[in-house]
Amino acid sequence: MKISYNWLKKYIDLDPVEHSPELLAEVLPLLGFDVEEYEKSGPPQIENVVVGQVLEYIQHPDADRLRCCKVSTGNVGEFHDIVCGAKNFKQGDKVLVALPGAVLPGNFKIKAAQLRGQPSAGMLCSAKELLIGQDHDGIMVLDPQTDLGLPLNELFLEADTVFNLEITPNRVDVLSHIGVARELSAKFGLPVKYPKVLTSAENCSSANPLISSVEVDVPKICPSYSAICIKGVKVGPSPTWLKDVIEGVGLRSINNVVDATNFVLYETCQPLHAFDAAKIKGGKLFVRMAREGEKITTLDEVERTLSAEMALIADAERPLALAGLMGSLDSEVDYNTTDLVLEGAYFTPNSIRLTSRKLGLSSDSSYRFERGVDPQGVIPALFRAIDLILEVAGGVVDGDMIRVGSMPNSEVEVMLQPERVRSFIGFDVSDQQIQSVLESLGLRVCIQEQAGSTVCWAVSIPSYREDLKRDVDLIEEFIRIYGTDKIPESEVASYGISLNDHRIYTVNESLANYLTGRDFNEAFLYSLRDSEETEFFFGQSSHEVLALKNPLQSDQSHLRPSLVPGLLDVLQLNTARATGATRFFERGHVYREVNAEMVELHSVAFAIVADEVGRTWRRREVADFYTAKNICEEALEIAGTAANKLTFYPIAKSNLWQDGHAAEAGDFMKMGFEVTCGLLNFSVLKERWDLSTPIIAGSILMTPKYFERRVKRSRHSSMSNQPASFKDLSLIVDQSVFAGDIEKKVASFAKKAVKGFDCEDVHIFDIYLGEGLPDGKKSIALSMSFRASDRTLKDREVNITFDAIQKLILEKTDYQIRK
Amino acid sequence: MHEELNIILTGVREHCPEISTRAEFESFKATISGPNGSLTKVMKGMGKVAKEDKPAMGKLINDTKAAVITEFDAVLERLERADLASKIGPPIDPTLPVPDCRRGTLHPISQVREEMVDLFRRIGFSVAEATELETEHYCFDALNIPSDHPARDMQDSYYLPDQLTVSNVSKHSDEKYLLRTHTSTVQIRTMLNEKPPIRIVAPGRCFRRDTPDATHSANFHQIEGLYINKGVTILDLKATLDYFVKSIFGPKAKTRLRPSFFPFTEPSFEMDFFSPDLGKLSNKWLEIMGCGMVDPEVFKFVGIDPEVYTGYAFGMGIERIAMILQGVDDIRYYYQNDLRFLKQFA
Repeated sequence: MKISYNWLKKYIDLDPVEHSPELLAEVLPLLGFDVEEYEKSGPPQIENVVVGQVLEYIQHPDADRLRCCKVSTGNVGEFHDIVCGAKNFKQGDKVLVALPGAVLPGNFKIKAAQLRGQPSAGMLCSAKELLIGQDHDGIMVLDPQTDLGLPLNELFLEADTVFNLEITPNRVDVLSHIGVARELSAKFGLPVKYPKVLTSAENCSSANPLISSVEVDVPKICPSYSAICIKGVKVGPSPTWLKDVIEGVGLRSINNVVDATNFVLYETCQPLHAFDAAKIKGGKLFVRMAREGEKITTLDEVERTLSAEMALIADAERPLALAGLMGSLDSEVDYNTTDLVLEGAYFTPNSIRLTSRKLGLSSDSSYRFERGVDPQGVIPALFRAIDLILEVAGGVVDGDMIRVGSMPNSEVEVMLQPERVRSFIGFDVSDQQIQSVLESLGLRVCIQEQAGSTVCWAVSIPSYREDLKRDVDLIEEFIRIYGTDKIPESEVASYGISLNDHRIYTVNESLANYLTGRDFNEAFLYSLRDSEETEFFFGQSSHEVLALKNPLQSDQSHLRPSLVPGLLDVLQLNTARATGATRFFERGHVYREVNAEMVELHSVAFAIVADEVGRTWRRREVADFYTAKNICEEALEIAGTAANKLTFYPIAKSNLWQDGHAAEAGDFMKMGFEVTCGLLNFSVLKERWDLSTPIIAGSILMTPKYFERRVKRSRHSSMSNQPASFKDLSLIVDQSVFAGDIEKKVASFAKKAVKGFDCEDVHIFDIYLGEGLPDGKKSIALSMSFRASDRTLKDREVNITFDAIQKLILEKTDYQIRK
Repeated sequence: MHEELNIILTGVREHCPEISTRAEFESFKATISGPNGSLTKVMKGMGKVAKEDKPAMGKLINDTKAAVITEFDAVLERLERADLASKIGPPIDPTLPVPDCRRGTLHPISQVREEMVDLFRRIGFSVAEATELETEHYCFDALNIPSDHPARDMQDSYYLPDQLTVSNVSKHSDEKYLLRTHTSTVQIRTMLNEKPPIRIVAPGRCFRRDTPDATHSANFHQIEGLYINKGVTILDLKATLDYFVKSIFGPKAKTRLRPSFFPFTEPSFEMDFFSPDLGKLSNKWLEIMGCGMVDPEVFKFVGIDPEVYTGYAFGMGIERIAMILQGVDDIRYYYQNDLRFLKQFA
């Protein structure tokens, strides 16, 4: 919203020094109206530059191109010696003189000095030097009638400052110069000068009224509609003053009538509309709903097809205007117009907003109507506009104002306890301070003593402040005008509250510490991914469910089901830029399709360039599946799941993972978590990310519920100090049998076989394939340890147990025991 | 006998330097001092020595034995040294660089988020979490932003298809799902689940349907704060935010509360700060967060009595703060993850 400083001064006596534009630019934001920018137009205000007259001049004795002038600035008998380089003036010319002390644009300070030995106490200025114009060929020679001694600042009054204010949606009343003036009046304690209105509702009537009546079919959308007719206007270009103010706030000057209504819009925030009476067919106006498919060509020359929820102003035959939005080209006021019908109506915000949205059309009018204009301000604004039209376009008002419906009564009273203000703001202010702030805003405070001693006020709210409905709204008004800078500084009062940090946060913190400790760099990626990628990696049903309804770009159309593709983007970028990066991780939310529904999950994922050592003086081990498995297991332990609860199995063929080199464990729907890790699909990586080196990755998914599980507190159990006994066992099994299954089975047999002591551990220590074994077989070597709590185990009892375990193996499995 | 001992000792002295393994040593040792060793044989011959010669002979044997042991010990020591040397390798060159990967670094946004969260934890805030998928009710209506309110124009949101269900995000009735546009949704979810007093911060990812540029990104991060108790005042709000700004931007930072409008707070403010040492951004007011006193309408939505409780809320963009602190002028750097960029904040 553009607000002109000069225009504001019509309604409030701003002092150019005390309330300078610069000061307003500081004050307005602290009143809640942020200044996006402000622009000065016209010559800048410069002190000590005045109109002078060249009384006489002589050629400079020592410089061909200089003249030594004697210049008067109006004080009889006083003159200034000024040396000047221009030659375009003659004796007696009126010129602009910068006297010592003046600071010209560019921080050019004028001082008394000597020029080639001649005294010079000032400067005769060119237009360009004062930023009045571009002319720099000589000094500016003024009209001989110009008053001698007149300051430059009074000579060029059109200098103005235009503020571009950001007005929050609750303050429609400030979308006008009077609205801003009211706010400044409250802040500065200056009265608001409202313009005088001459027009009234009752007027002489000629024999032929322009319209006979207005019929409002839709009182819910248009509770009140008023119209006044003017005959004999002369439509033409606006006078300079009107054109200047209209263009000053960024509007286009159309003609004197339209400009006058726009002036009132920017003055009062009341949108009005002028119809060319000759174009109203049938002498009657209708406010009605559009018929489905009805067409109107609006003033912006766009033909619009309407639907039944849009309100219209129409004549007997056709639509003349979209209510509250824009007139039609058909009823436009142009240079041939002689008679006018001027509309002043109140439309309800919802209806205007709906139409505006549906049509994708917004205007200065709709912007205000949809935020709710002051119902009581409509008719005064209508009268004000007529005053202006009569002034700038002539004509006479014809007949009484036609009025249908009545304005909603919006004067309300809000109860406020001054004690409540104090307890809400947290510092002491007097009743008197609160009351005077409220009154400065035009609110009326009526003090009521209630039962007991609680003072309660009834505060009546003017109709233009519909945003003030509750006591907190008034508290806001108080603090806003009183000044937020006066809120005292204080220490944080930290009353203890025992809420735990959410485990999602603490677990994520620990995971990040763990992964950075394992040399991973954290990456941040977008949650939205490409459509085709989603389908390629996660299939048709995921592609359908994860799609946004209203994506902005096709490469950000789907919610990500995995963090891994993003990490590949990062590796690709870093590889291309040769940054040497090999390990990244990300923590974030991902989305999955389950039974055609979506679930939101927490995820942490990492990716490693397997051969990450690169060229260095000593080679380290290359990362492989077991690197990833180890990281996944440890990460899950940090999240609260013991790694021994996990069994990894190879994953089914996938576009993301390399067949036979990746595995998964868990199930997020059943167990709350799911892990996938291993080598990524080599050929896909090459094709999509141009990565030709093996990449090892891991991805953990966790449901939000997973973090709500209670983590059990650990309990101590006593440990044996007796020595352990060890036994090794070698099994020959089919190559397809999982080692993990064998280990688990043998451990369960051992558990069964031991009597009176424990089998503490069963683990695989060797795997062998090849020579000496039958085709398709492998050898698995396991080590077992036994320990008693109370004695050293005898070989005999360990051997008996070991035999029993072997017996169980032979009975219950088809593993062969290698002797 | 004397002669024999001399030969044994000479033989030991000659052979010992040639021994290079423990096994060699043991077998050679057996030929000298083993049960059938040459020195053992000589010692066994003591019985035949004449009585008067015995003391001198005994001394001679003992001297020889001691000399042999000295030789053997020297061999053992030499073998042990060699064994150790082969185990630990040659001496190191401490100037060589470590061949392993360097410790990773937290993302600069994470670093700032953690710093912010820690500052609030210190004054009694706990961290709350909620989903990124939300419904219009929790993102707008419950925050007093009705469906036709112009405030909804301020933020264009990403929606999910109408018929879709998100199985782990609850709906209020049959409203639409969307990606949350602010972390204020966590306020609502928390107030519905907890009873006052409540004091939380909620860091998290948000989404707006903006065309990406230097200051806009399809997703970004916010941190939300909420404190509800009996007698919470504007003074408390200012004290908390002043503490935060001075802690994070230094004690010279000044703050101001600029009145503003949010449907979910009344009064509402934007907090600006001003700092003399921020490079290009020094000495001007910079907007960093929205804040205010929780609007009574919001309390009504979640069933908290506004006559009993008051509260304040604030919300700020983490990227915004990070960009100011880290001197980053394009938000997109944060989402490229160039290692050289990340390592600048290691």
